[in-house]
Amino acid sequence: MNYITTYCHINSESCKVNGAIVAENTGENWLKDLYLNLGIKYPKFHKMDTLSQVAFLASEFLIRSNEDIGKYKEDEIALIFSNKTSSLNTDIKYQNSYENGGTASPAMFVYTLPNILLGEISIRNKWYGEHIFTLFPTFNQKYFVDYPEALLGEYTKACLCGWVEVNNDKIEAFLFFIEKKASKQLNLLHTEQNIERLYKQANG
Amino acid sequence: MDLFIGSENIISPLGNTASENFNSLRRNESGIQKHINVGFKGEDVYLSKIDSKSIDFYSLLEQSFSESIKGISDEIIESGRCLVFVSTTKGDLSHVNEDSIHSSVQRLQNQFKLANYPLIVSNACISGILALNAAAKLIRSEKYDHAIVIGCDVVSDFILYGFQSLFAISELPCEPFSADRKGITLGEGAATIVMSKDKDIFFASPLRYLSGSSSNDANHISGPSRTGEGLARTIIKTIENANVLISDIDYISAHGTGTLYNDEMESIALDRLKLNDVPINSLKGYYGHTLGAAGVIETVVSMQCLRNNYLIKSLGYKEQGTSCNINMIQKNLEREIKVVLKTSSGFGGCNASAILSK
Repeated sequence: MNYITTYCHINSESCKVNGAIVAENTGENWLKDLYLNLGIKYPKFHKMDTLSQVAFLASEFLIRSNEDIGKYKEDEIALIFSNKTSSLNTDIKYQNSYENGGTASPAMFVYTLPNILLGEISIRNKWYGEHIFTLFPTFNQKYFVDYPEALLGEYTKACLCGWVEVNNDKIEAFLFFIEKKASKQLNLLHTEQNIERLYKQANG
Repeated sequence: MDLFIGSENIISPLGNTASENFNSLRRNESGIQKHINVGFKGEDVYLSKIDSKSIDFYSLLEQSFSESIKGISDEIIESGRCLVFVSTTKGDLSHVNEDSIHSSVQRLQNQFKLANYPLIVSNACISGILALNAAAKLIRSEKYDHAIVIGCDVVSDFILYGFQSLFAISELPCEPFSADRKGITLGEGAATIVMSKDKDIFFASPLRYLSGSSSNDANHISGPSRTGEGLARTIIKTIENANVLISDIDYISAHGTGTLYNDEMESIALDRLKLNDVPINSLKGYYGHTLGAAGVIETVVSMQCLRNNYLIKSLGYKEQGTSCNINMIQKNLEREIKVVLKTSSGFGGCNASAILSK
């Protein structure tokens, strides 16, 4: 059996780690406030689109709250991410650049693929592991049990899973880390019920 | 667990079945043609486009799926133990909205009474191989017994203008791995492969899928790694898992987009693994870069190479254009092929590979 050992939620109101509030949105520039809250210097953050920024921030808050993550080798952590609307928010901005702005923006075009956020997290952490981005009409707890179970084995020892959505002004990130043993902070079995419950925590 | 693959199909400018496509490839025919006044500034652009006004994302998806399932037992399609995979980068871009992909996938589910909503893999240019690998992992972990993997993407202004803005579109048909290559040529198409743990569902004799994996470069979101890091790592994992030796590999179906840096990166990764002498080609000179469909189309072609013991010359290749030697296939070859390595790489630093055999 596997365990959920850390999780993180970000939405337009707050950022929570393992259910506890880390930061609340009080200003105009919520994602930048969260970046400043991390106290890191990572200029690449400012070049990312919103989808990658939200995923990056959630991954940073999650990783720093679980010291065991650093013990895995560079190719032992798989990234398993999904959402509903792919890179739609950036797709619309990019489409607008060539339809109304007179030129197709190469900087935006690169972010019209949802898996770019997997690249951003891999670059930041120097992770060379398995990775996959998939799309579902709604959050899919069955996939988030089936696929990590299918991957965990000889090469993959842990999974960072995530549902990250940016649609109009709505932002939503739910990331959770799966390991073969429970952590000091959390003793939560990796089941559909638990994943669904944690996902709903963010929205309830 | 042994995994069988078969009942494969390709819909492309080169034909509507796998064998039609392979016959075109044997004649070294390309789907790439000059299209007038289609670029962002009205440039003429070489593309591999299907010659039909009625073609759209859904019709391609549906056509390839329908062709493919003719070769397997009926009851599989609607079974809860079967999962359909749709590999695509952008789906239907005629309307850029939240249904660009889901509306077509939902329609496919309804039309064929699929028990499960298909798993959509959208992971840039490695989507096709990743979908095959994911199918294999889910079957081997006994979550499903069968998978039907479709790759599909269509040419659109959205994608063309984007690659133009990156100065990545070749003014001539692409020339993968060749010294004077100048970028990619875009293409469209669909392909389907059925994978199962059960050999008996196939009417024609299937082949085998041995293993697959993915690895990130952890280097740059749009530039290929200078050391071939992710590609080398995924090939190592895939070969180890397949339980074959480097010397067992008879043919490599490369990604080979025709950009300066991608092809150079691939040659470096292959050199690191001492795969220099294995016959290799890129099929982009025939199909262009079909993005989310590419991995599945090129795997179906690899399956025809295995079935026919025949290798296709790498169209557009003239002279060595990478710093490391690789053994480009410069004319069609008849020879015994037992083990094939398929690779792909894409934006986001992603790399994936798979090994197939007889």
